[in-house]
Amino acid sequence: MSKFQLFAKGLIKENPVFVLLLGMCPTLGTTTSAINGMGMGIATMFVLMLSNMAIALIRNVVPDKVRIPCFIVVIASFVTVVELLMQAFVPDLYATLGVFIPLIVVNCIILGRAEAFASKNTVFDSMLDGLGIGVGFVLALTVLGGTRELLGAGSLFGRKFITGDGILIFVLAPGAFMVFGFLMVLFNKLSARLNPKAK
Amino acid sequence: MVVVLLLITLVCSAAVGLVYKVTAEPIAAAKDAKISGAIALVVPTFDNNPAENPMTKEVDGGVMTVYTATQGGQVMGYAVETFTNEGFGGTIKLMVGFLPDGSISHIEVIEQKETPGLGDKIDKSKSDFSLQFEGKSPADFKLSVRKDGGDVDAITASTISSRAYCDAVERAYNLLQTIKR
Amino acid sequence: MEKKLIISPSPHIHGVDKTSRLMRDVVIALLPAFAVSVVVYGVNALVVTGLSVVSCVLFEFLIQRYLLRGPLTINNWSAVLTGLLLAFNLPGTLPAWQIVMGCFVAIAVAKMPFGGLGRNLFNPALVGRVFLLISFPVQMTSFAPVTRAATDAMSGATPLAFVKEALKKGMGLDQIMPDLPSYSDMLFGFRSGSLGEIAALALIVGFIYLLWRKVITWHIPVFVIGTMTAFSGILHLADQAHYISPLFHLMAGGTLLGAIYMATDYVTSPMNTRGMLIYGVGIGLITILIRVFGAYPEGMSFAILIMNATVPLINKYVKPRRFGLAPAKR
Repeated sequence: MSKFQLFAKGLIKENPVFVLLLGMCPTLGTTTSAINGMGMGIATMFVLMLSNMAIALIRNVVPDKVRIPCFIVVIASFVTVVELLMQAFVPDLYATLGVFIPLIVVNCIILGRAEAFASKNTVFDSMLDGLGIGVGFVLALTVLGGTRELLGAGSLFGRKFITGDGILIFVLAPGAFMVFGFLMVLFNKLSARLNPKAK
Repeated sequence: MVVVLLLITLVCSAAVGLVYKVTAEPIAAAKDAKISGAIALVVPTFDNNPAENPMTKEVDGGVMTVYTATQGGQVMGYAVETFTNEGFGGTIKLMVGFLPDGSISHIEVIEQKETPGLGDKIDKSKSDFSLQFEGKSPADFKLSVRKDGGDVDAITASTISSRAYCDAVERAYNLLQTIKR
Repeated sequence: MEKKLIISPSPHIHGVDKTSRLMRDVVIALLPAFAVSVVVYGVNALVVTGLSVVSCVLFEFLIQRYLLRGPLTINNWSAVLTGLLLAFNLPGTLPAWQIVMGCFVAIAVAKMPFGGLGRNLFNPALVGRVFLLISFPVQMTSFAPVTRAATDAMSGATPLAFVKEALKKGMGLDQIMPDLPSYSDMLFGFRSGSLGEIAALALIVGFIYLLWRKVITWHIPVFVIGTMTAFSGILHLADQAHYISPLFHLMAGGTLLGAIYMATDYVTSPMNTRGMLIYGVGIGLITILIRVFGAYPEGMSFAILIMNATVPLINKYVKPRRFGLAPAKR
């Protein structure tokens, strides 16, 4: 697998949200607008990239028996760091994302990549993998948030296109499930068209 | 095995501690900025830092804070951080600005979890609901929605949120009255 | 000879002819209620119902023809019924584009993606209604005042919404009783509400027709209504000033429309009597819980949708005992 493929597989072929169906809690919970989805995605991407690198770095010294506690400690530390930084420099975004930021610790994408990839590969490869999956996550959350914002509030990235309210259900919880389901249909249709050989 | 785990934990906690030290100041500053920003929005001009000497009081199981804004030693207004638990989505926190004569100058929403598109219209950026309070004195402006015999025009289909909003403003006014006395 | 006996596990799928007969019978049973809504709400009722039925059929046709590319299913009357039931759950003043959107959700979100009639998990008409209720709460809860029913105090509010509002204000029931429509007004449709829910009598006439034609059995409606009566009756007996009488709960809101015509939808209700008992009791309990303690004044549609979601589970665990088999010993 070339270095580029390492990065690119996270975008479509192994997209964490639409293909692997990992990290559903923040995916459905935070994507009430494009900017919220993107903020959550970027925070997760940072943690994912950094923790992947750190875990790849220590993979040879960590005994097998305690690898999960070690991974979690590393991930939790990065999450706390990101949380503190957000609190300090983007307090508004932090206020909207609230409890979902500390919950990045238990996002299965991150532990999943640590276990499945970073613990067996070099630092650079792990970074690429983390970046690819992270960007895929950011894209998915931004698209989901954008669609919900567009339908639910008639705006995109805070810019309003209509007067009055949108279709409220889309910014509420049930709308998240509906939009997610239909986006997944579209995504599968598109990726089937992109590489018809995969079947 | 134990040594490795211990080492990793040590390194990580050291790193987190370091970041905490570095960010402690900006976090406090951001919080201060938020409070003084909200105060500045609700009371007229002042030259002191009201966030410096807040007066806190426990009312109805919640904490309320009164900030006094002065200019040249003269009281220009009070900003009262108030709350209500009657909201559709739970607690609503408001910053209510009063002029020295007890009339309302401006109201800002600090925290709310009301339904988007309905109850969240209490926010100034979403609708003009909060504007009707400005310049009114609760002494002769009855702080309850018209349906309940008050003077407040409720948000359409969000009577509960409107009612909660009135409740919070009234609580702020009552607190201010007891303090001034 | 060997081909005569067909052995297959339930559900036994009905032939297309039979489906269309059943669906048509339900439509016929709804006609009295439709007539009342036209009398009370006038031409608005005609427009809303017509638009709803036409759009539902059209959406189903388009999806079947161009997306699923299967055999056409619109002549089984199910889309007509969905459109009719959806319209019955809407206020007569709803803007046309919102009606069309509700139909789109009912057909293109709740029905066809699951595979069309027979495979949908939730009642399509109710999904459409709840979608509209959550999305456009202002329009979905503003009803044109009905001249005879409403005193000034409750113009345009449904009786349930009015009671909820008054209780929230801390008023006792005895204070508001004079403003509520009388039971006879509620029986004949002189009150505010969704198009199809206002006339209790017309709905009961339809129920009797359905029973006579053996389209539905009595189980689900009776379980739902019985549970509601029991639950609200207990509350009422415990505190008469704050919990309104069971009779009111039965006549008001969508109780009858929901219990008779929507909870009994074949696809989304359990297959045997014990299952129907669980399902009906669940609907009754949730409805009263939402009405009495919840934020919304009416809970029938939410209750049916919630119990719809449990139907596969009920069907899995509540199986009829096999004939000739001794009951399992514990």
